[in-house]
Amino acid sequence: MNDTLAAWTPRALSVLRIITGLLIIQHGMAKIIGFPAVAMFAKLQPLSLIGAAGFIELIGGALLILGLFTQPVAFILSGEMAFAYFMGHMFKTDAPVFHPLLNGGTLAALYCFTCLYLSTAGAGPWSVDASMKKA
Amino acid sequence: MDQFNRTLAGWEPMVLSIFRIMVGLLLFQYGVAKILTYPVLPYFANIPPLIVAAGWIELVLGALLVLGLFTRPVAFVLSGEMAFAYFMGHMFKAGFGAPVFIPLLNGGNGAILFCFACLYLACAGGGVWSVDAMMRKR
Repeated sequence: MNDTLAAWTPRALSVLRIITGLLIIQHGMAKIIGFPAVAMFAKLQPLSLIGAAGFIELIGGALLILGLFTQPVAFILSGEMAFAYFMGHMFKTDAPVFHPLLNGGTLAALYCFTCLYLSTAGAGPWSVDASMKKA
Repeated sequence: MDQFNRTLAGWEPMVLSIFRIMVGLLLFQYGVAKILTYPVLPYFANIPPLIVAAGWIELVLGALLVLGLFTRPVAFVLSGEMAFAYFMGHMFKAGFGAPVFIPLLNGGNGAILFCFACLYLACAGGGVWSVDAMMRKR
């Protein structure tokens, strides 16, 4: 079983990258394009901190789906999500909330470490990066 | 930029283990919240047997994932559990007649990312910092 699973590692890496990109682009679309309409982002200023995060998620997420410049893009997204975890979740109120289940930052932490891993592992075989390397 | 990519790529085995430990810890907290009720969360009070079963899977297999013991089968089971959780607990939360398709609206982002992260870990294994790797060396 372990050998069969191990043989799928490169392709599973590409699948993980595409899914991560798709999930992150949702947050960017909700903030910048307003789809899907989320009440929390209804009065968002594009030139605010959250607006900047939205542009990073929109563009970075799209590049991650394509697998173009995966390593630097994932590195930036990882940093953005670390920022989001501490700014938006842990220190949401004046007193820090340390438990991710209580501060709601589980997803941000998971994005952060997934992107950190993608920044080291690269895009895998199903990506623009890989097809450019071949050409 | 090539130099930057190569430097990052050199860290891949270690970061794989860090990634595994973080996924394990984040899953483990759901098991702890459901079974050991710490922290106390109102939506995990009086949970039905199916969610209790999910809690035990998260508690035991989450701990094994943190240790990196039997990483591949453990991550495979967790991946399946999270797929189940996404469809049962998020997409069809309002009943099978009323699916909500956008993860941002059904709240299932975490379940999806856990599912695919565990699927990848099932393929890639535990990395260098794991009990699996220590046992292989001996």
